Amino acid sequence: MQEPVAPPSHPKAIHHWVTLVGLLTAATGCGFAMDGHVSLTSQAMVYVLAVVVAAYSLNWKESIATALGAVTAFNFFFVPPRWTLEVESQEHLITLFTMLLLALVISHLVAGLRRETETARLHARRSRQLQELATALSAASTAPSIQVLGQAAFDSAFDGPNLLALAHANGALELSTSEQSTLGDGLRCCLREAAVLGPGTGRWPGLNAWYLPLIASGQHCGAACVHPADAADHDGREHAQALCTLLAQALWRQRLASSMRLAQSEAQRQQIQSTFLAAISHDFRTPLAAVVGAASALQTQRDKLGAAEQQRLLSSIVSEASYLSTLTENTLQLVRLSDATQDITMEWESVEEIVGAVLARLRQRDTTRRIKSSVPEGLPLIKADPVLLTQLLGNLLDNALQYSTGAIDLVVSTEGETLRLSVKDRGPGIPDDKLHAIFEAYSRNDRSGQRGAGLGLAVCRAIANAHGGRLTVHRRSGGGSRFTLSLPVDAHQPQSEAA
Amino acid sequence: MSLRVLVVEDDREIRALIQSSLSVEGFDVQTAVTLREAQALLAHALPDLIVLDLGLPDGDGIELVQQVRLHHTTPILVVSARHQEAQKIALLDAGADDYLTKPFSVAELLARMRVALRHRGTALAAAVTVHALDDLHVDLSLHQVQMGGEPLHLTPTEYKLLARLVRSAGRVVTHRQLLADVWGPEFTEHTHYLRLYMGQLRAKIEHDPAEPRHLLTETGVGYRLAVD
Repeated sequence: MQEPVAPPSHPKAIHHWVTLVGLLTAATGCGFAMDGHVSLTSQAMVYVLAVVVAAYSLNWKESIATALGAVTAFNFFFVPPRWTLEVESQEHLITLFTMLLLALVISHLVAGLRRETETARLHARRSRQLQELATALSAASTAPSIQVLGQAAFDSAFDGPNLLALAHANGALELSTSEQSTLGDGLRCCLREAAVLGPGTGRWPGLNAWYLPLIASGQHCGAACVHPADAADHDGREHAQALCTLLAQALWRQRLASSMRLAQSEAQRQQIQSTFLAAISHDFRTPLAAVVGAASALQTQRDKLGAAEQQRLLSSIVSEASYLSTLTENTLQLVRLSDATQDITMEWESVEEIVGAVLARLRQRDTTRRIKSSVPEGLPLIKADPVLLTQLLGNLLDNALQYSTGAIDLVVSTEGETLRLSVKDRGPGIPDDKLHAIFEAYSRNDRSGQRGAGLGLAVCRAIANAHGGRLTVHRRSGGGSRFTLSLPVDAHQPQSEAA
Repeated sequence: MSLRVLVVEDDREIRALIQSSLSVEGFDVQTAVTLREAQALLAHALPDLIVLDLGLPDGDGIELVQQVRLHHTTPILVVSARHQEAQKIALLDAGADDYLTKPFSVAELLARMRVALRHRGTALAAAVTVHALDDLHVDLSLHQVQMGGEPLHLTPTEYKLLARLVRSAGRVVTHRQLLADVWGPEFTEHTHYLRLYMGQLRAKIEHDPAEPRHLLTETGVGYRLAVD
């Protein structure tokens, strides 16, 4: 915690008067102790000492009172005739007057010295505060944290109430409704005029507070209001201004940094987007070429083509077009899943149903029933988006049908709180160095030969992640690949009602 | 007299394709590009079936469905793109009869239309009460379910669920509709009931519950009882 930087307020007056009386009593006591052993001048010196101590520890009013009291007490107790305020000889009168003058001069000098010391200490504390604030600000990266630091600095330097308001990028101040009417006008005005308002500034001197703008490099970063404000307190006002300058610079730096970050991420996004677009147009072009080729052949050469050839072209159009449709679906899904603002809705779903829906669609292609499914009874329900899981499983099975010729196993199993769906094929397998790359958008294992759903596995992994699950691939002993989707199972299964 | 079909679709190519495919099959086809145009045609004369595309330039079609359902049972087939799930389900819940997802084949369209037309008027006349496919035989009037000639015991909820699907055999029934009709309108969010009871039904009716023959899942939408 910082030590307070506000000018020291004076201890209570009653305490001062006690000190005063104490000092005089002590001096008088000393005078009596020395009585008879020393001269009257030495006794006077004891009183002068009391006046010096008073001048250093009390303010000027009490110091003068001490001086007067000292002279009076000295006169009363020690100057003959004793126990009266009368003065017997002229010499004693001169002693008394000299003593009074001496006491007053010393009191004045000491008070001045003390003021200067205090001012020097205050300056030191203030410059230390500025230093500490600068250090703290260099670590603060957000506008609210800068505001908190600034508010704390003002509160420690000034009695308050103090207020630090930040400005939006458009220059409008962020003010709560309660601050709008009372302080808002002053804050807005000082920001508009780019000058300090309040006592001693020549602008709005009637105010009881200083209104200071936070401006750095011409940018309006905010404004502050500081209580109390004294027209004569130049140092205080300068300190408030120094705090404002520091804060304004920090806010400006923070604005620059955040706009730089924005620009960077925008550039990165555009880079990714253009890579993605280039890759996707490549993937779309091939099937489109096949469709256009087949359709134009039918259009111009139908009479010359045999019935079987025509049929082949037509089925090519249908299958290429449905491939395009899958590709579009995967692309859209990947874009949708990478948009963090779109959250997916999870409901209780049955894995058996999802498998059933995928198989129902795939059997149209899998006419020889290469896919063998094994789904145990009594599987737990899972929280999922069924459309996404259907797409995931469909992509995995599509790939298996595409890349392998033998049997394909679809196996569902549970182990503890994990549900596993595995798709196993006996295809050529995936080389070890490609096991990770295949999940990246557009880094297919084999671009030259058969094609898969270009984005298929990237979408699959994105869907798995969105469900809090994992999609992994392993080489099978004996050849082929095993893709495994692991999904978490909620231990709290929903209850069927007693219907 | 041929059956009249109103096709509401804003894409020219698809409109032309549907029109020519249906004309070849002997339907009398009218087309509309916007909902407003469709409403004008409907006010003039009611078709036997409506094919309604989602995402028309002047609205999402739910008003049209509600308007038709106020007085008529004309079958409505919704045609949607895949990203229009929520809209599609809203229309089905509002009373549309079935849906097709783009891209669809003409064969699929004709099959859906056949089922929809078979159910024409079921809300007024006696609904379908007998369903038979392969070894499954259901007679709602006798409250009887048989598998391969043997009576099959179902719990009351399982029976209500199956009966609801039989009444709409061949058409999709949304989760919401099933929950409302079997459990009650306050249970329309309890989709896990459906998952659990459909699982039990599949275990009793299907030879391979993981690859059902009768109780088909329409992912994210509802269920359909197979008719062929």
